[in-house]
Amino acid sequence: MTEQTPQKEPERPPEQRSRDAEFWAQRVERLEASEIPAGAADVNVRGRREVGALQGFGQLWQKTYRVRLAGIEASPEEVVRVWKEKFPEFQPPQNRFYPSLAGVAPGELLFISATVGGMPVHTGVRVIYADDVSFTVMTPEGHPESGWNTFSAHRHDDGVVVAQIQSLARANDPVYELGFRLVGSTAQEAIWTHVLKSLGAHFGVNEPVDLHKTCVDPRLQWSQTKNLWHNAGARSMLYTMGAPARWFGGMFRRRG
Amino acid sequence: MPARQLEAAVRREGGTSIIELRGEIDGLAEEAMNAAYAEAEEGDPQVILLNFAEVDYINSTGIALIVGLLAKARAARRRMLACGLSDHYVEIFDITRLSDFMNVFDDEASALEEAATA
Repeated sequence: MTEQTPQKEPERPPEQRSRDAEFWAQRVERLEASEIPAGAADVNVRGRREVGALQGFGQLWQKTYRVRLAGIEASPEEVVRVWKEKFPEFQPPQNRFYPSLAGVAPGELLFISATVGGMPVHTGVRVIYADDVSFTVMTPEGHPESGWNTFSAHRHDDGVVVAQIQSLARANDPVYELGFRLVGSTAQEAIWTHVLKSLGAHFGVNEPVDLHKTCVDPRLQWSQTKNLWHNAGARSMLYTMGAPARWFGGMFRRRG
Repeated sequence: MPARQLEAAVRREGGTSIIELRGEIDGLAEEAMNAAYAEAEEGDPQVILLNFAEVDYINSTGIALIVGLLAKARAARRRMLACGLSDHYVEIFDITRLSDFMNVFDDEASALEEAATA
């Protein structure tokens, strides 16, 4: 659960509140976790600001992944309920997600420990929106991407339930941009394809994942080069190298 | 409450194209939003103003659509402004950091005044 300095929407009579108000997270200046799930690290989450698709450095891409869950009885609502519940289980082995006890709900943090090119990367995302048929996560500073992913399900005109991931994001800094252009983009596409295949497998479906990608803004935002300072890959490496020192420090504190 | 599919109308005031949005901005609004934006770009306006006064629902997919339009406008070096947002949606624009790149005005008159002086 995030411990926030919430700037609450003023209380209004129910009839004046927007129907979507309960689905959106509250605004926070900086991310703060009151509890960290076992095994997770908040090293690149705590104190970070969220960044959207407009704040990063690289080209802005919209990628839409879809899988048709042909033949299933479940409704889109049921598919998304399962997706929220089993979100960490649907990830590939090198991409571990640690949700809070409240799970995928507006305002909640999901910690991520991934392995990229053999190097650990600790980061996270915050759920900024969640309703019965979709949820959206937004990245913090230092995350490889700046933007958000929306996970949703809907019933197609032909009656088949379609599960979809739509990413609208750009690389957060020049190093990530280079990495995405070399191998990262393909690796990222493999991750979300894996997630949709896992979701389909849960419902007994083995259908191909369709990917449609569009470069929304091909320009690089050189003013965002400063984002390098928060690079979660570099900071995770330092964090990992410091693990023995933290371990010894902990031993001495316990003995003292 | 039944869903109100988005309707978008485009008109011009000086060098500004105004897109009047009515209904709900969600995944179903993509076609209407993109068509309105394409129409708004005709005549090469310097400013495109999104008027949300008649919008009563925006989900996260809808926000992504707005971000997509804003990115297109920035790539074409046009300014994009917004007006008519309720307090709730002003908050959502803050959460998603859209407001870092899009000035938000209470009403169309004040947005047009800004567009004329910029």
